[in-house]
Amino acid sequence: MATSDINLADRSGSLVESHRSFQPRVVFFHFVIVLLLLVLAGGLAYQQLFRNDVHQDRQRMQSWRRTLVPGPRGDLLDREGRVLAGNGQRLSVVLYLDELQGELRREYLQIRKNYRDSGDKGLPNAGEIEQIARVSVVQRYLDRVNAIINREEKINRQDFDSRHFTNSMLQLPYLLIDDLEPEEFARLIERLPVNSPLQVYTSSRREYPYGVSAAHVLGMVMPDPDIAAKDFQEQDLTTFKMKGTVGRDGLEKQFESTLEGEAGGSIFQVDRLGYKVKSSIKQQMPRQGKTITTSIDIDLQLAAEKKFAEMTDGKSGAVVAIQVNTGEVLALASLPNYNLNETSPRISTEKYAEIEAQGGWLDRTTHGLYPPGSTFKILVTIAGLRAGMIDPADDSINCTGVMQIGNRPFYCDRTAAGFAQHGHIALREAIARSCDYYFYTQGLKISPETIAAEARRFHLDQRTGIQLTETKGMIIPDPAWRERVRHEKWFPGDTANMSIGQGDVLVTPLEMACFAASVARGEVYTKPTLLHDPSAAPQHTESIGLTPAQRAVLLGGMEDCTIYGTADVLTKLKELRIPGLRIAGKTGTAQIGEKKTIAWFICFAPLENPEIAVAVAIEGDTPGETVGGGRYAAPVAQAVLKEWWDKKSRPAGPGVSVKAVK
Amino acid sequence: MQPKRFDQARPFLTLGLLFLGWLAVPVAVKSFLRASFFEFQAPLALAASHVRDLQEYWSLRLHSNDELIQAGRDLGRLTASYEDNVQENAALHDEITRLEALLHLPSFADFRLEHARVVQRDFSGWWQQLVIRKGRNFGIPVGAPVIFAGGVVGRVKEVHAYTAVVELVSDPGVRLAAVIEGDDRPVSFQGGNNPTFGPAQGIIEFVPLNVYASSTIPKTLITSGLGGVFPPGLVIGQITSVEPGADGLFKTGEVRLDPRLSSLTEVTVLVPVNPE
Repeated sequence: MATSDINLADRSGSLVESHRSFQPRVVFFHFVIVLLLLVLAGGLAYQQLFRNDVHQDRQRMQSWRRTLVPGPRGDLLDREGRVLAGNGQRLSVVLYLDELQGELRREYLQIRKNYRDSGDKGLPNAGEIEQIARVSVVQRYLDRVNAIINREEKINRQDFDSRHFTNSMLQLPYLLIDDLEPEEFARLIERLPVNSPLQVYTSSRREYPYGVSAAHVLGMVMPDPDIAAKDFQEQDLTTFKMKGTVGRDGLEKQFESTLEGEAGGSIFQVDRLGYKVKSSIKQQMPRQGKTITTSIDIDLQLAAEKKFAEMTDGKSGAVVAIQVNTGEVLALASLPNYNLNETSPRISTEKYAEIEAQGGWLDRTTHGLYPPGSTFKILVTIAGLRAGMIDPADDSINCTGVMQIGNRPFYCDRTAAGFAQHGHIALREAIARSCDYYFYTQGLKISPETIAAEARRFHLDQRTGIQLTETKGMIIPDPAWRERVRHEKWFPGDTANMSIGQGDVLVTPLEMACFAASVARGEVYTKPTLLHDPSAAPQHTESIGLTPAQRAVLLGGMEDCTIYGTADVLTKLKELRIPGLRIAGKTGTAQIGEKKTIAWFICFAPLENPEIAVAVAIEGDTPGETVGGGRYAAPVAQAVLKEWWDKKSRPAGPGVSVKAVK
Repeated sequence: MQPKRFDQARPFLTLGLLFLGWLAVPVAVKSFLRASFFEFQAPLALAASHVRDLQEYWSLRLHSNDELIQAGRDLGRLTASYEDNVQENAALHDEITRLEALLHLPSFADFRLEHARVVQRDFSGWWQQLVIRKGRNFGIPVGAPVIFAGGVVGRVKEVHAYTAVVELVSDPGVRLAAVIEGDDRPVSFQGGNNPTFGPAQGIIEFVPLNVYASSTIPKTLITSGLGGVFPPGLVIGQITSVEPGADGLFKTGEVRLDPRLSSLTEVTVLVPVNPE
């Protein structure tokens, strides 16, 4: 025991000798360690206290996601509040992929196990197995839906869009079945569990209750992948956007900023794989765009389109009806047209090509450039009367059926059509019977410069200013224009042609409707509008400048046109008569080259206090046709006037109903 | 010191071992144990229900003869009134059958009516359900609609040997395809987040924009029959408000449910005769 104690003491003494209590070198290391710890603590404090915002921002950017859904577009209404373009329900069933993380993983492992059990024969790579798992899981959910609504939908592996499973698309619902029937919608509502990844989803689709009607006015929409939420914050976050729609043409495009809905959306947190880990952090509901009440009267629009189709058997053309005092456009029909419902939410390539082949894309009311034909004689008359070149009572002009100007004969259309010549004729009858000989004579007297100046005073060389795109190709020619543009001389024959609205004169049907409205009001300019304003003040512009007597002769000739003149069908045919309504009109049948004609009719009514002006232009393909205006165009205008007159005569109040044409 | 520390940790170790053992138990065994729990619990609930019935019986025995005579007279009048209604219903039923035959309409999906007494009510912020005194022994299937005199009660959520759990229409997990009386456009009804003792409410979605309702002029919400679970025409509740949804496509609104849902003693299960 004693020996042992001695040994311990010895060893203890040796230990004490080898480890002294104070070691300067150790103290040095203490300082070093403390210094390093201070650096760490300082760094930590710096990061926590001064760079906190930066880290929070990084964390936010890394783990927060934002989804945007478009707001529905505003409605387009007709002047009586009927929906011309609205938002229809689109019921679909979707799968929320971000809730399938565990299921996809299990499916992957199961597929891998199956291959392993079969000896890894034909083993695909990991990406392919993942794809198989996705298709398999989605098909399983689709089968549940199939069982509920008795369908047999299948996931097409070729078309299966695996992009939806990428981090950037995971938050967007995956569309399984589009356009559910209401019964299917009801069954799914009742049979899908409330917390299922399968949900019934609604979105808006642009719907046009009247189908083809006013197609060019309303215009189409097209998908817009770039929707924006103005007031929705956190714009720097990774954002997933559902497709919205944007106006492509017509009012849908012109009033895009008004009709456009405001997108809404939500912000939520995701895990490292992009799956949602908690419900929304922020949410903003989308808002519908503003509604626009157009000046269109769908009853008149339908009447115009229906009668046009009846009279022309598929020909092209345009009908425009304008409220005389305000310039509000009541009907604006361009044919052929197309069914807007077939363009929403997207138009197929085949449909696009079909419409293209028919020439349906062209809005002939604003882009159709036609020689105005004999309807231009109204303008020549005004130019002549104002210039003092035409004496309304003078009947010294003797229509012999043909006039030799230079070395070319110019025929009166009536003679060309095989009727007897007009003989001695005065202004009123010349307007009513549309005597070309009379206007050749007067035009040559008036001069092309005066006629062109008068046309420009009526703004026939300019766009009308309507809220649609318009061609700028209208032409009011004169010698200076011919020299400047074509570097050619002007001949008397050109003046004769111009006097009957032929030659180089080109106008649009909308311009001619505005011209008719201006004449009806006794002024030189009517600015058309497609917006309805019940409190709009009447338009007032420069007076035409005719004396009451001159105006009486002009309007008398136009009324006579519908009584015994070139548009006498409006009174002679019982079915075209409108009792109680006096119409002032003028026909025209213009030639375009050898093969094409344009049948015109412009008019306004009631004669004693004009309220509505109409212009009709129909493209024809009958060479030598000289009475198309009265035969084809006047009955179309009559249909519009009759509908307007009937509505005006009906007692006010509800009861005016229109059957929607899908 | 070391053995003492182990003694202190022993309960945790045991708990951990039990937990691991539970995890290792096959799913079938777990399901069996869970089902057995309900089956063992059911006789207790049934016994309690019978005791309550007995209690009610003896409390009725305490009424005086005069009261009983008066109640008997009232019952007689009520019976006479019901007999009259039964005759009227029979005539209407015959008329409906005649019209259906005339118009070659398919016959209405038939249900077998199974009346059941409520054993237990279980209302909370999370769920709202009833336990009824009939289960597999009366052929009640999961998903069967349950109704009462005021309309829809809910649908069967779980079926046990002698009892069944009914998910009430006020439960937030219940969703029905409904229509507004006089309209044929389907809307979605879902139970609301209802407080335990508060008035039950639900919400409706996908309501067409031209539908208007308020608490003063409510509209009746009925089952559509389109969903395939509930027959058409059963009252769900009264729509007390609708307002345009933010999407501009539909309105959303609130539905006031029948206050009697919280004090039901008898319900009727509609058992499909030919289940799909």
